[in-house]
Amino acid sequence: MMKKLALKLPKFTPWLGWVVFLCLVIGAGVVAGLIVFWKGLSVTNLTDLVPWGLWIAIDLTSIAISAGAFSLCAGVYLIGLKRYQPVARTATFIGLIGYSMALLTLLMDIGRPDRFWHAIVYWNKHSLLWEVTMCVTLYLTVLVFETMPIFAKMEWLKKRFPKLAKIMNGTHHYAPYLAVVGLGLSMLHQSSLGAMYGVLKARPLWYRPDISVLFIYSAVAAGMSVTIFVSMLSARLSKKIKVDDTLLERVAYFIGWMLVGYLYFRFWDALSMTYTYEPGRTEGLRLLTSGPLSFNFWVGEMLLGIVIPMILLLNNRTRSLPVWRMLALALVVGGVVAYRWDTNLSGFLVVLSYLPGQPVITYTKYVPSLIEFLAGFGVVAYGFLAVSLGVRYLKVVDHTEEIEEEHAHELELTKTIPV
Amino acid sequence: MTRLERFILSLIFALLVAGLTLVVANAQTPDPQTPVAPTTQQGTTESRCGNCHSDFQNTWFTGAHGRANSDPVFSESWAEQGKPGACLVCHVTGYDPATATWQQDGVSCEACHGPAPEDHPNEPMPVYRTADLCGRCHSDTRFGWEEWKVSAHYQRDMTCTVCHDPHSASLKTIEGDYGQTMDASGLCLNCHKDYSMEFPYSIHSQKGIKCVDCHLRHLGDSSSDEIHTMPDHSFTANLSTCTSCHADQMHAPADTTVIPIESTVTPLVVEESGSGTKTETPSPVSPAGYAGLAGLIGLAGGMVLSPWLERWYRRANNSKETKNDRE
Amino acid sequence: MTENNFNRRDFLKITAVGVTALTGLRMIDRAEASSGEVGAHQWAMVIDQSKCIGCGYCTLACRAHNDVPQDISWNQVIQVEDIDGKDVFIPRPCMHCAKAPCVDVCPVKASYYRPDGIVMMDYDRCIGCRYCEAACPYNARAFNWKAFTEPNPVVPEWGQPEVERRGRGVVEKCSFCYQRIDRGLELGLTPGVDEGATPACVVICPVGARFFGDLKDPESNVSKLLRERVSYQLRIDLGTSPRVYYLPSEPQGA
Repeated sequence: MMKKLALKLPKFTPWLGWVVFLCLVIGAGVVAGLIVFWKGLSVTNLTDLVPWGLWIAIDLTSIAISAGAFSLCAGVYLIGLKRYQPVARTATFIGLIGYSMALLTLLMDIGRPDRFWHAIVYWNKHSLLWEVTMCVTLYLTVLVFETMPIFAKMEWLKKRFPKLAKIMNGTHHYAPYLAVVGLGLSMLHQSSLGAMYGVLKARPLWYRPDISVLFIYSAVAAGMSVTIFVSMLSARLSKKIKVDDTLLERVAYFIGWMLVGYLYFRFWDALSMTYTYEPGRTEGLRLLTSGPLSFNFWVGEMLLGIVIPMILLLNNRTRSLPVWRMLALALVVGGVVAYRWDTNLSGFLVVLSYLPGQPVITYTKYVPSLIEFLAGFGVVAYGFLAVSLGVRYLKVVDHTEEIEEEHAHELELTKTIPV
Repeated sequence: MTRLERFILSLIFALLVAGLTLVVANAQTPDPQTPVAPTTQQGTTESRCGNCHSDFQNTWFTGAHGRANSDPVFSESWAEQGKPGACLVCHVTGYDPATATWQQDGVSCEACHGPAPEDHPNEPMPVYRTADLCGRCHSDTRFGWEEWKVSAHYQRDMTCTVCHDPHSASLKTIEGDYGQTMDASGLCLNCHKDYSMEFPYSIHSQKGIKCVDCHLRHLGDSSSDEIHTMPDHSFTANLSTCTSCHADQMHAPADTTVIPIESTVTPLVVEESGSGTKTETPSPVSPAGYAGLAGLIGLAGGMVLSPWLERWYRRANNSKETKNDRE
Repeated sequence: MTENNFNRRDFLKITAVGVTALTGLRMIDRAEASSGEVGAHQWAMVIDQSKCIGCGYCTLACRAHNDVPQDISWNQVIQVEDIDGKDVFIPRPCMHCAKAPCVDVCPVKASYYRPDGIVMMDYDRCIGCRYCEAACPYNARAFNWKAFTEPNPVVPEWGQPEVERRGRGVVEKCSFCYQRIDRGLELGLTPGVDEGATPACVVICPVGARFFGDLKDPESNVSKLLRERVSYQLRIDLGTSPRVYYLPSEPQGA
């Protein structure tokens, strides 16, 4: 009897360990989230001077890493890079998870989660936050349609509801149209997330147009990086998962060149602000370059986030080595996280007085509370778990499939078209 | 074990170490502010006003106005004097000398606000908080009206209600530094802020003398009824104020002790509402950088440790495989 | 629909539809913006800094009449640098900007303009995103981080609440005591003249440093003061057009 029981326990595998670890983090996050709903936002270290903190950074990042979905879909369906279709498939799934992470975090972050639907009913077209909310909601719908064929592949669904699975699989016919809509919506809100900060005249450090350009640009780089990283990692960990490494390598090379552009934009963006003294802006920039945020800025954003991955990805030798390539991709994501965190905080930490005469600059501080960390990590762990499960059970990363089934015909067609 | 597996293992190490650093760094959450919950005084009354204005009713009921004819000091003194009706003109509401009856005990709402209109909540009952309104009872013989009229307060159109709460018939209370430490004088310093910089350094202050001890003397002779002692609302100190304490020193040589007054530069105080504190210099933002460093250390540690893990893993695997073979 | 017939023409079609829709949205928006009618009154506040002694009565009266919790001040009295040894104070209510950044950024129109110029909060609509706090240059907004359930300690000494208490999770701010203005006007009173129709901070001010009135009425006390005396507003460089004016404290002997 005892023996039988013992045998029933699942054997310990790295996979199981990983899932258990994530579930523990999610559990802690759920507890923290419940405390937030129960006690209100007073359990956070947010103040009226720093009303947005860690959760907004997670929010911005999870939307940024989802940008691979729209950019790769646009590449596949609009520019006609058909062979990248399986990569776009991975990106779409990650996008769905990323946006659901963002919504989870937002729900915790707003004071009245029960009124989250107000933005959809009461329109203020002047508000960038309204625009972002609408776009995110619509784009999440687009993503649900785009990922339907992935869910349709589920064995359980195929057996239990074969008709539904067929209908869900059928949505792939609309993929090009969804890609156009997705491109439009994403271009709007990915840059609007930056513009949300950029339109605030009361905060001189933010009040500039290029913050939105930087946001969408870095989001595309990070989104593609996450997609390639997940694909490579899955293929390494499981022998069942087949990837076309030439595809991934090409995208990684493209990311390398994107980083050159990112470095250029970020450099000019920061440099142009160093000219002349502008109250609030200069102090904010100083926080980044020599103040408390300088570690994040120089090491996190610049060195680890841009320069090192740029070199690793543009150098043919390091790029062809999977370990180095993956390290570079992970660093890109880290850099974008640091960028979002720095952008949010550098604007809030400097408090500009409104009193007459010479503006007085004071500083405030913000360190997330334990509850904020736990809830935030919980959301991140949920994202990890969802992607892991997707890779394992939904074959999100699979570069063999497209040659079979429906796309075979499509491929033939493209081949016959004379170039 | 491939290099990648080794890397991933160390990545997990890095995550753990970085997370731990963050947790430790954030273990000290600030104490939640304990809300101040003052207890409201419960007074039962059947007055119609109290239905809506219960807060006012409660403070009025326990104050001097509410107890104007029920206070033991009054009742005793009144009885001693043979219960003259003249006292009741002010001590009750709606006193009718012809029948010696009155409408309501004490100085009730209508004594100041006037009779309530029929449709009152719609029709307001504005009360003009003029000194004349209070002066109907707090007149010269009972209050020192003439002194009040020469005071700077009166000259500047300040009314009684600036310092007095008419409902509780007591001084108003001020929150913050002045209010809690200085009793009635806190009310003085709340407006006369410049003195708050100098007065605490004086000998007077150090001996425990407050503003009101000199500036709000009582005019009446101390043997008369305590309530009618007529505080001097001219707020001026004169010779008799000084002699009340320094009578035996008046002809003695002047005290040569120099009271040091430290130079006090008014700092730029920016008091702000809401949550969030401000400092002159930026303060460290987050332990994220340290967590990052800790993560790097964890990464290195993981890289080093992974061979051991690999060995352990392989042993587990081997046993599994042998088991599988057997099956 | 067959595969691979998605060509440039389709793309252009969809783009054209999108652009048309956006243009339409913009036009509706324009029409709406121009219909933001200006009411018969334009309320404004004038604060005489030469009179203000920083006693903080306005904050206390505001806290009682609007049932504001202890850790929030709709009206904050700030001490600024002294001029010729005399302390100078700036009481800061909401500026009720004619072009308010908070109204622009609110995603749900919980902040809006009333026709009489008051920037109002709809507490039943606010979702608590706190974007307005980031946008307001005057720090005039405060978030209810926790529920205010205990009795208000400044009631009744400094007045009785006239409005409903805000719940946890919404942003609140000064409303120019709209409830007093509206009720006063109904009863035929004149805001700024009759106490019952004037903001509580103006009524309580022991030194008469605050004035309230209608900018549209040339004979109102605020119109007269702004004509006769030098005044300034806070951070007009931001283009917010605040409706709170300050009469500066003149150096002694000037």
